[in-house]
Amino acid sequence: MRASPCMPGHIFHALIAVLLCSQALPAGAHGERAQEPYLRTRTAHWYDVKWSVDKLAVNDTVTVTGRFRLFHDWPDAVRPPETVFVSNATPGPVFARVDSSLNGVPARQSFRDLQIGRDYEYKMVLKGRVPGRYHVHPMIAVKGSGPLVGPGRWIEVTGNQADFAFPMTAISGENIENLETWGVSTAVKWHLILLGVAVLWILWWIRRPLLIPRYLALKKEREDLLTTNVDLGVAIGLLVVTVALSFGGYAWARSHYPRTVPLQAGTMYTAPLPAQPKVVDIRFKEARYDVPGRSMRMVFEVTNVSDKPLRLGEFATASIRFVNQHLPAAKANVAPGYPQDIVARTGLAIADDSEIKPGETRTMRIDATDAAWEIERLTSFLTDVDSKFGGLLFFFDTQGNRYIAEVGGPILPVFKKSV
Amino acid sequence: MSPNTREILQVSGLPPEAVKLSRIWEWFVVAAVALLFMGAIHLHVMLTVGDWDMFVDWKDRQFWVLVVPVSMLMIPAALQAVFWHYFRLPIGMTLGAVLLLIATWITRIFGWHIWGYFPFTMGVPSTILAGAMACDAILLIVRSSLLTSTFGGFVFALLFYPSNWPSLAAYFLPVEHQGMVASVADMIGYVYPRSGTPEYIRLIERGTLRTYEGSTVWVSTFFAGIICIFMHMIWWRIGLAFSTQRFVATSKRFRHFMGLADAVHPASKA
Repeated sequence: MRASPCMPGHIFHALIAVLLCSQALPAGAHGERAQEPYLRTRTAHWYDVKWSVDKLAVNDTVTVTGRFRLFHDWPDAVRPPETVFVSNATPGPVFARVDSSLNGVPARQSFRDLQIGRDYEYKMVLKGRVPGRYHVHPMIAVKGSGPLVGPGRWIEVTGNQADFAFPMTAISGENIENLETWGVSTAVKWHLILLGVAVLWILWWIRRPLLIPRYLALKKEREDLLTTNVDLGVAIGLLVVTVALSFGGYAWARSHYPRTVPLQAGTMYTAPLPAQPKVVDIRFKEARYDVPGRSMRMVFEVTNVSDKPLRLGEFATASIRFVNQHLPAAKANVAPGYPQDIVARTGLAIADDSEIKPGETRTMRIDATDAAWEIERLTSFLTDVDSKFGGLLFFFDTQGNRYIAEVGGPILPVFKKSV
Repeated sequence: MSPNTREILQVSGLPPEAVKLSRIWEWFVVAAVALLFMGAIHLHVMLTVGDWDMFVDWKDRQFWVLVVPVSMLMIPAALQAVFWHYFRLPIGMTLGAVLLLIATWITRIFGWHIWGYFPFTMGVPSTILAGAMACDAILLIVRSSLLTSTFGGFVFALLFYPSNWPSLAAYFLPVEHQGMVASVADMIGYVYPRSGTPEYIRLIERGTLRTYEGSTVWVSTFFAGIICIFMHMIWWRIGLAFSTQRFVATSKRFRHFMGLADAVHPASKA
């Protein structure tokens, strides 16, 4: 490569060197935006997500709670949630997981047979381990499909990693002073013992002429010189030592830890949360995404089948929330401290925001407009092989009670401004 | 210098200067080959049985004792063939096992602990040192590749579990967590989250060998021994095949194509 005439070669090279030597910033988040839109809009819809704190010291805990709805129009490309592991997405083990549950059932092991169209409630307690600022998400991993990541919040861990400890007590009585270091010194010592014997065996041979003289002697059919009776005796000794070390070590470990258990591998089951009473019937009509306007316009027909008037308060998809700013109950539904980068600033525009009376059927037109469509890389549903989307609609009655309905269908792109 | 060494050097026919040079050259070769095989064996193991060796919560009684020795035997067996066939040195497997263990600890320290934040407890590696040394010793005793495969291969797998248990038994103590029993290894896998490695992805014992009561590990060990016999035979021959130098006759046109000969001019033919 030739430097440009206005930039002397040595300056160009110096700049390259500086760039190469400058320290790369560690990744705080972990590529959740890289997940295809059909994964984020038509699988698990996360709601009521709460993080108990946004700053904690090493050894302190943060509790992440919330719910998810498994969307009825589950994509063909994603395996159904027959085996699911409830987890958290963080950049490596910067937090230690203290406990977790799904609908109150311990979630250390995977769950089987989650039901599409139903809701589940999770909880996980994480302990600060590595100081830094991290994006912490709830997550479920579906066997055959991989992780489905929920919304993330930046959480700062302060203090010193050296102070971190995770003590436990074994059922058999042993005191595990720290899960970080338990048993490591024994493993290292044992490996050093075996390594010592192996090195002695290798040294026994390489102290003598090693390659060329032995090769030449062998070509001259003087194999008798290359291994002697002493070597044979050493080999027999080595065999005895290795067998004795192995079974002696095994016997020592058995006597030292007489009660051990195999890895635990069964799956768990929990019934979904009780289904909410149905208050609305939704019939999807059409949806268009206005590319230059970064706006999703949707038309759907809603019938109020309850005995109370309802208003639409929120449309949520892919963890982005479009909240009706004219409905106090909907605004109150956004928990304090919820990450504002995934709450649309312009809110949700509704053509007719008046109450939907009991028994009334209305065609609703909503505009969900925000740069988040682009920032969260959701517009690539226009290039997906399955150009459909989905989301949750949150309706509220006059008492402020919330009712959740699903909506979704094909989506069409609009590439030109209409005005 | 021992009389035996003196005799070997004498038989080799090398003059004293060449003996000195060959010794220096050997150390360079040893250093280069050690690094090369350290990387090769480690890469091979990571690609074939990676998670079983990487994570303590994958070291189960059924698959870990089966697949890890079978995979870890391969390149050391090839090395054993090369060292024995050309130099009558019964150190190939031991050398392979030493290099593998060193490489594994290097990656555990720098890759997993320093870079990936994982505690050492998560990645305590398995070792094949005991089985490798026994197999090398058997080779020198029986002096036959067939018998080494038969006895050495089996012993290699047989020693795998008992020689690893002293370093791993502590991770199989029972603990209580959320009202359920778990091993310490299960807890380590749970406490230190791996976002891309959910619990269900573990290929571990699911209770299918229940009829063998608590002897699952020895059933798997025996089976691993049988496979290791054949695996040793195969990789011994692969080692020999890849260390054989052959000269292949080539056409003049091919040599010209490769830039090794003058051009063939039709006019000159005439």
